[in-house]
Amino acid sequence: MDAAMSKSGRRLLRGLFGLVVVFLYAPIAILLVFSFNNSELPSFPLSGFTLTWYRQFVHDPELIGSLETSAIVAALSSVGAVVLGTLASIPLARRRFTGKAAASALLLSPLVVPYVVLGISLLLLFHAVGVPRTIMTVVIGHIVISLPYTLLVLIPRLEQIDVALEEAAYDLGANRVQTFRLIILPLILPAVVSAFLISFTTSFDEYAIASFVAGTRATFPLYLYGALRFPNRLPEVIAVAVVVMTVSLIVVVGAELGRRVAERRLEALAS
Amino acid sequence: MAGRRRRRLDLTTPGLLGLPLAWLVAFFLVPIGIVGAYSIDVFSIFPGKHPVTLAGWHDFVHSAVYLKLFWKSVRMSLIVSALVVLLAYPLAYYLALSGTKRKYILLLILIAPFLTSYLLRVLAWKVILGSNGVVNSLLYWLGLRSHDNPVSQLLYSRFAVMLVLVYVWLPFVALPIFVSLESLDQRLLEAAADLYASRWQAFRRVTLPLSVPGIIAAFLFVFIPTVGEFVTPSLVGGTSGYMYGNQISDLFGTGFPDWRTGSVLALFLLGVVAALTGVFARFLGMRQTAAR
Amino acid sequence: MKGEELIERRVSREDFLKLGAAAGAAGLIAGRAGAADAARSHLEKESGRLQVLDWPGYGNDGGQAMFAQYVKKYPQNKPQFTVMTNESDALAKMHAGLKPDLFRPYVGWVKYFATSGLVQPWDPKLITNFKDLNPLMVKAGQYQGKQWGIPADWGFDAILYRTDKVHPKADSWGLLFDERYKGKIAWFDDLGMLVMAGFYLGFKDPYKQTDAQLQRAQKLLISKKHVARTIWSSETSLDNDFAAGDLWIAYAWPNDWVIMKKKGLKVRYMHPKEGPISWVGMFMLGKGTPRPHLAHAYVDAWSSVKSAKWLEDNYGYGEANTKARPASSDLLRALQLTNPRAVAEPNAHFDRDIPRRAVYAKKWEEVKAA
Repeated sequence: MDAAMSKSGRRLLRGLFGLVVVFLYAPIAILLVFSFNNSELPSFPLSGFTLTWYRQFVHDPELIGSLETSAIVAALSSVGAVVLGTLASIPLARRRFTGKAAASALLLSPLVVPYVVLGISLLLLFHAVGVPRTIMTVVIGHIVISLPYTLLVLIPRLEQIDVALEEAAYDLGANRVQTFRLIILPLILPAVVSAFLISFTTSFDEYAIASFVAGTRATFPLYLYGALRFPNRLPEVIAVAVVVMTVSLIVVVGAELGRRVAERRLEALAS
Repeated sequence: MAGRRRRRLDLTTPGLLGLPLAWLVAFFLVPIGIVGAYSIDVFSIFPGKHPVTLAGWHDFVHSAVYLKLFWKSVRMSLIVSALVVLLAYPLAYYLALSGTKRKYILLLILIAPFLTSYLLRVLAWKVILGSNGVVNSLLYWLGLRSHDNPVSQLLYSRFAVMLVLVYVWLPFVALPIFVSLESLDQRLLEAAADLYASRWQAFRRVTLPLSVPGIIAAFLFVFIPTVGEFVTPSLVGGTSGYMYGNQISDLFGTGFPDWRTGSVLALFLLGVVAALTGVFARFLGMRQTAAR
Repeated sequence: MKGEELIERRVSREDFLKLGAAAGAAGLIAGRAGAADAARSHLEKESGRLQVLDWPGYGNDGGQAMFAQYVKKYPQNKPQFTVMTNESDALAKMHAGLKPDLFRPYVGWVKYFATSGLVQPWDPKLITNFKDLNPLMVKAGQYQGKQWGIPADWGFDAILYRTDKVHPKADSWGLLFDERYKGKIAWFDDLGMLVMAGFYLGFKDPYKQTDAQLQRAQKLLISKKHVARTIWSSETSLDNDFAAGDLWIAYAWPNDWVIMKKKGLKVRYMHPKEGPISWVGMFMLGKGTPRPHLAHAYVDAWSSVKSAKWLEDNYGYGEANTKARPASSDLLRALQLTNPRAVAEPNAHFDRDIPRRAVYAKKWEEVKAA
């Protein structure tokens, strides 16, 4: 007998799971359908197949520009967050020291602060010290919010690595940098990649903070928000939506599967 | 040997932690201090001399408007968080405990929408809920409703805001609950069964209490961002869906810039959220020590 | 570096003032051509792209026709745009260090900015199309004898409603509070709503309400807020919701009426008996701008008959150039373009400075929060 659920209970839960998946994916599917619909208004009945909206967005310099801006911001901020996150995660995962609890609390605290508060506090900081708002101010803010996520990915991975491996390296005469580069880094690489991807998607999608600290160059979410309020551009935006969602789904799912496979292989090698 | 290593590590720890901590001090703690400075006119958007004043705080405490709006946002956000946790719990339970081999794949299917664009998912609902949107046009088309009589309170309402927030956060919340259920020692359930506990009793006395930390984490992960939310209400909320976060963002954006009041509102929100997190963190810490 | 910049600015400002005087004198002797030559020689010294702070839809995102003549003349100094979502956003951006060469607040803000130390007056002699601008609006751009604002686009705030669905009891602002149409009404997200409420309540000067009056106006709005489905801040979003049937009554601008008519809706643009509110956009010149002549040239391009007609035809606003006439007779009527005093009493209440703007703003934010 299964202690957790009965047969009928299992069937019920499976049904619920199915319903929720429909609830989650139906709106996305509807966007997909209307991105090919030959009408400016997204409403039934469908009026015919078209690729106009896709063609239109490919030729919209403002939209393409905002995608570029977001890609730059996301790349810079996720590199920053991963570097800082890797630096911090090593002592947090592997060393004992006074003030560790306080340090990790501070590093994780942006997780529990509403973005509207983070956004205005950065706005006021830049205003008070007279820093003009540019894409770099957005990058700074995005590193703050991505850093905790990188720690949440990296620390558990580091904790899994046997300290003996490191000790063996020292005993063989390797210095700290060599040990990190030759032993630790290869072992945590899958986690580093996944921290990078999480930071990248977080930044690429972030609106609230960017809306306060962005300068003249609009990021993709800022452009989208503007376009959402200008519904005459709706079909074009829907087409972009479909492309962006598909790409991010593929990247995320692919990365997750890749990380699983890589970690399993590394484990096999290490043991 | 051990002594030598320790000395070396003592030097590396501050070296490694220094930069990340400095980053958060400079771009997280200091800015919050600066918000405090703006809230009492130590800094101001307008150049010139300003006497330090508590007027912003005084007005906030004495004007029923802001506190009422805050309470409204808290209520909306509580309902959303509760609904999301109630919906996500059975799903996580199913994935963690049904013994299905594909549980990670299914979990990924559940979470994947969260990793796509937030604004685009809101957009999807705008397309669905409008008077000429998918729901209504489907109703017209099927002849269930006439063009003159759309279901009109779908968009621009408190309902719309809460529906969209539930939709947006549901995938994310399944994760912490799943983790807490998965780490649960299944032998405990078997032991309960051996002691002739019914499944329901086993759930109530074993599984549920052990998954409380996951539930609380999940709850907070929804409550904190939604109580300060301003993007979703500004797109689908209309007049009745206006939230506390909208007021903060409006005080900095539209109207006449009133950064002092805006700073007061932001700090109050931060204070409440921090207190809440602190209480739960302590509660969880106590449970952990008690469990040991 | 910073010092150099400062000196450069100061020099160019002095130059500019001298040039103003010189141009005036030269104008007397040699006529317009002489002044234009003097200006041209200065223009060559101004470098870099013209920094324009303007509303969305007026830059390279659709408004290109308005400054096409400028771009043609000064391809080396193409405008670079920063978007302002409203005047207070512009104010915040400028206090945060943005230094636009020019920007475009509305008439009610002229005095505020003129006294803020952020702008400097224009020299109308450098704007050839200035003579064609509506004198009433030109006057509204003045403060203490100087031309701080150059009028551009203008229009009304009044009520748009569907005649097939809505039967007002009177032509009054009160239609925005009508319980019969609860959930079908849109308000406008601006402290001007308090001014409108003041007209509705019959105050003598709604722009200078006493505390008690302001309290009454605020109370009225709060007590009626439940009838409003949305409080719009994006015009296109209003148009879409109105066209979709989500809204039947709206605080709106003339072009919204034109757009709804084009979509085949039965609509009326009602001028309430308490009087509609009229407004005009005002270009203002950034203080110490290193490109004053280019800024003048830019505004000159905007003020031409060709640009003005384009604005009327495509955006549905009026333009201060009185020689421009839109292709649409509907718009001509909605804007009462044949009447040069359309924006003035008794036809409409011309928007003006609100001395206690910050107080109004706070009261309006409270209405939304209540």
